[in-house]
Amino acid sequence: MTAIVLRTLLVSGLATLLAVLVGVPAGYLIARRSFRGRTLLLGVVNTGMGMPPVVVGLIVWVMLVRSGPFGDLGLIYTQAAMVVAQFLIATPIIIGFTAASIQALSPRLPDLLTVLGAGRVRTLWLLAREARLGLLVAVMAAFGAIVSEVGASMIVGGNLERSTRVLTTAIVTETSRGEIERALLLGLVLLALSFVVNLTLTVVQQRSRP
Amino acid sequence: MTGVSIDGVRVEREGRVVLDVRTLTLAAGRTTAILGPNGSGKTTLLRAIAGLEPLRAGSVSFDTSAAETKRDVAYVFQEDVFLRESVHWNLEIGLRLRGTEARERQRRIAGAASRVGVEHLLERRADRLSGGEGRRVSLARALCLHAPVVLLDEPLAGLDERGYARLIDELPRIVEAFNATTILVTHSRDEALRLANDLVVLVDGQVLAAGDAHAVATNPRVAAVAEVLGYTVLTLPARRIAVPPGGLRLGSGEVECVMTVDRVVDLVGAAEIVGRVDGSVLRIPCASGDARPASGERVTIHATQFSPLD
Repeated sequence: MTAIVLRTLLVSGLATLLAVLVGVPAGYLIARRSFRGRTLLLGVVNTGMGMPPVVVGLIVWVMLVRSGPFGDLGLIYTQAAMVVAQFLIATPIIIGFTAASIQALSPRLPDLLTVLGAGRVRTLWLLAREARLGLLVAVMAAFGAIVSEVGASMIVGGNLERSTRVLTTAIVTETSRGEIERALLLGLVLLALSFVVNLTLTVVQQRSRP
Repeated sequence: MTGVSIDGVRVEREGRVVLDVRTLTLAAGRTTAILGPNGSGKTTLLRAIAGLEPLRAGSVSFDTSAAETKRDVAYVFQEDVFLRESVHWNLEIGLRLRGTEARERQRRIAGAASRVGVEHLLERRADRLSGGEGRRVSLARALCLHAPVVLLDEPLAGLDERGYARLIDELPRIVEAFNATTILVTHSRDEALRLANDLVVLVDGQVLAAGDAHAVATNPRVAAVAEVLGYTVLTLPARRIAVPPGGLRLGSGEVECVMTVDRVVDLVGAAEIVGRVDGSVLRIPCASGDARPASGERVTIHATQFSPLD
């Protein structure tokens, strides 16, 4: 059980981290810059926020399966494949929430920071600090979505007992075996895990509340 | 002291020219008001000076004897813009970003807060201040920076009557405390003349008049400038004249014309006659002893003072 919990944290934590690294700058650019196709891109992102994980899993499987375009990488049925799938689920959520929280700031704020003497990096950092409540909501929503998804992990990870089984796929396995008590126990652990992570982020969020 | 030179500056938005200034020099150490109607490019000019507006052509240069080449300005925006932190933090952040030493930061914040009257607000959340408080904190933030060029974009905008009256009385002393080249954007002739040494009149993105405030205000020369300065432009048979505010009276005089009365507005103890001359709407004060004309009546009015237009 401990191995499954740690594996769940590793896969979903890494996918969330990667999604933050890509999604926060992308959300900032969508919120602040004007460019052709911006509205279309925002529409795609918003659609992606509600994309069924099982569909994402299927697309990643088609890409990574031995006969697929990236089959040579040998990633199918590995934790890396699960991270890729979960990253694709989490990134639109991070982008969407980031864009919304940056758009909620005064449009004159970057100008103010520039005039006060902030360079580009300091301006970005101060804007992120200003939008920190929304950004933490983005992280919580993204982590919550991927730690609780089962379809993508099952399809691209294969639910291999010693390498790709995570809490959600383990619950499916135990239920299908008729081990309802063990499935319920795993469900409680998943809930507790999700609660602890979200509580930690909430404490950080509320401490930093302006 | 630092002067500002604007040379061939052109700003375009969506293919439309919004600012086209051939040459303009804003003298070091003086206060210049940029006056113009809405959409004339006043704020765009201020943003161009601050380096916030991409220029299609031309340049803005600061004439400074110092080796410093970075554009060092303080900017009070038309609307209050604050970080969601305390007033103190909002005053301090610019000083931190400019590398000002801690003790000097505190000294400047205390001095600026005292000068502008916001000491009691320092621990309050800046984004939850009232309109008047926000304006004062924005001015204090600009004051802290000790910048050689200060840009004020309608610093009295959005205030209620009482707040406006208090701040416009204090603003000359605050502007003096900047000890800088101050550039003020306004659409109010009264504010411009109260606060500025020099006046720039901007219409449709172009400078139509610039120079000493009194000289520009008393001799508008062209109709567009006269209208911006609050003059009434009258077209008489042989010439056009600009009549300053309050310079029209009922009755005959040396320079007179006929006005068709639209309505008479009762102002409690006084009245105002609203009428038209050649399609232009005029407002003439009606003294308590004067007979009040009826709507549609044609009355003779005359100018007590005026400037001829080119």
